Amino acid sequence: MEAEIRDKPSFAHIHVQLNPGESIIAESDAMASMSSDIQMSTRWNGGFFQAVLRRIFGGESLFVNEFTTSTGGSIVITQPLPGDMECIELDGNTMYLQPGAYIACEPTVNLGLGWAGFASFIGGEGLFRLKVSGKGKVWFGAYGGIFEREITDEYIVDTGHLVGYEPTISLKVGMSGGIFSSFFSGEGLVMRIKGPGKIYLQSRSIGGLTAWVNARIY
Amino acid sequence: MRHEIMARPAATVLKVNLDQGESLTCEVGAMIAMSSGITVETTSRQRGGSGGIMKGLKRMFSGESFFLNHFTAQQPNQTIYLGPSLMGDVMSHPLDSATLIVQGSSWLASDPGIVIDTSWQGFGKALFSGESMFWVKCSGTGNLFVNSFGAIYEVDVNGHYTVDTGHIVAFEDSLTFKIGKAGQSLIGSFLGGEGLVCKFEGQGKLFCQSHNPPSFGKLLGPKLRPR
Amino acid sequence: MATVESMTSDVPFEITQRPDFALLTVQLEQGQKIYSEPSVMASMSPTILMKAGMKGGFKKTLGRMLGGESLIINTFTAQDGPGEVVFAPGTPGDLVHYHLDNNTLYMQRGAFLSYTDGVDLTGKWQGAKGFFSGEGLVLLKASGNGDIFFNSYGAILEIDVTNEYIVDTSYIVAFEDTLDYRVTILEGMKLGGKLKSFFFGGEGLVCKFSGQGKIWIQTRAVNPFLSWVYPFRPTKNN
Repeated sequence: MEAEIRDKPSFAHIHVQLNPGESIIAESDAMASMSSDIQMSTRWNGGFFQAVLRRIFGGESLFVNEFTTSTGGSIVITQPLPGDMECIELDGNTMYLQPGAYIACEPTVNLGLGWAGFASFIGGEGLFRLKVSGKGKVWFGAYGGIFEREITDEYIVDTGHLVGYEPTISLKVGMSGGIFSSFFSGEGLVMRIKGPGKIYLQSRSIGGLTAWVNARIY
Repeated sequence: MRHEIMARPAATVLKVNLDQGESLTCEVGAMIAMSSGITVETTSRQRGGSGGIMKGLKRMFSGESFFLNHFTAQQPNQTIYLGPSLMGDVMSHPLDSATLIVQGSSWLASDPGIVIDTSWQGFGKALFSGESMFWVKCSGTGNLFVNSFGAIYEVDVNGHYTVDTGHIVAFEDSLTFKIGKAGQSLIGSFLGGEGLVCKFEGQGKLFCQSHNPPSFGKLLGPKLRPR
Repeated sequence: MATVESMTSDVPFEITQRPDFALLTVQLEQGQKIYSEPSVMASMSPTILMKAGMKGGFKKTLGRMLGGESLIINTFTAQDGPGEVVFAPGTPGDLVHYHLDNNTLYMQRGAFLSYTDGVDLTGKWQGAKGFFSGEGLVLLKASGNGDIFFNSYGAILEIDVTNEYIVDTSYIVAFEDTLDYRVTILEGMKLGGKLKSFFFGGEGLVCKFSGQGKIWIQTRAVNPFLSWVYPFRPTKNN
């Protein structure tokens, strides 16, 4: 399989070339176009029970699509939001993704749902998180550009900007300043992230976009 | 006439250098900024050519404006910046006695020598392709500028190719398409979120957009203040 | 568009993810400060202290409010050692750095993101010119000696005006005060008396800049996006 992410960071999409017999799994409605030698089949997102849980708590869809080819072919995969995409290659390790960030993966990757905790929930990131593990490539997306930080000690992230993180990372919720400042600064609560480990952040947040639009409409 | 496409693919603008006497026909409202030696004329017809009210009305059906703006340089070395109204890409596509079928509202600008007309693709496509009811048919010789939502990518179709609804920008008239289902079963196609797709056939160039505007609208809309 | 790596008078900064989702990262030494509009901090080191407050007294604050900005300005101080602050505006778009050397820069409503010590920011009443521009009666005015960062919707293009330049009023982000401007309708329409272009040509009001100086324009207007999103908004009674 050859895959390339094009038009980062604003309209990132994946051009995938599949060899005979290969397949790729993608989130529902992620296919933009494909050659006619690719077959699409729809299945539960990891078994009925898992799929329902992921739908309710993980912000993912009930079904995923598997694209296979017996003769080789190409497919273009996208996401609903304008924004960036990243590819990570798992080699037996685990990564956590925010609900909605998952786009596609190789069939050897396991998609699971994990408890993220109340800190994550209060921090606006959801009670659950997607857990990707196994071996193979995983593509995830964001609203805005994706940037990384390697956390050795502690780092502060505004709510709505965290996209994914390694399992060695722990999340705590804190105030952005003193009581007055936290309230009036518009920053409110922030995530206090403890390392060591890598985090992926998005350069815009849906909350920021919503506030910007809401300030201009009647 | 020289042009440059900048800030691709979401905030894309088209910068055109016009020499004295050169002109460019543009979508209404596309002008962002320009040198002071350029004048504009608004008409419902092609420059010096046919058209008039009927063509103007037909353009309205395809999601374009009734009027066209003609920008003409009255002095040497003038520049004009043009942009689509929403975030997205711009591409240039030179035509040499050829025809390109463009999704309604995707035509941005063209040389005065190109005829902008409307093309009806039939009821099935009008209802299910996720595009406008009518398409814009651009033919003639000269440069054509087309815009999209999302980044534009080019596909050389040789035989068959499938495009999800809402992702078509333009295609050469040597191609035709039909509405079909994405997977083997219709129910599976809908459950998988793909539903109906456009199945292209023939030999020629197809231009797709990486993102589908309603998918973004449906995610953002519910978070906004009620109307 | 390329990443910008540079320095303000005393602080190194980087603008990445241009032009669609531009992000400003500043590196502060112990004791250094930077100021920003509210709600734009995306992330920062734990050594940074954030404080919200009003700056520049009542008159300047009021001016800023009329210029479409908040009453509050946030101060970020590297209190417990050096550290970084990452700023991300809510607007999808670009970011530009401008160094003020005892001169004045005018900005469109809401364009201000962040500044360093030495900058005065207030609003400036534009009189009848503002009334016709359709973009607000008050422009933001930055002056003094320091550095300012402003942002846009869409990419920002810099245009060096040497004589005259025409910009549609919805695309102006900022301009230097060495330029004079007036709001007008397009030349061709006046000459030919073709009011049709004004009403139906969509290019109605333009700003005609003259003199020598820089203007910054954004490559998208906000209103078409707001109209596009309208049908996706929830309805009131449901």
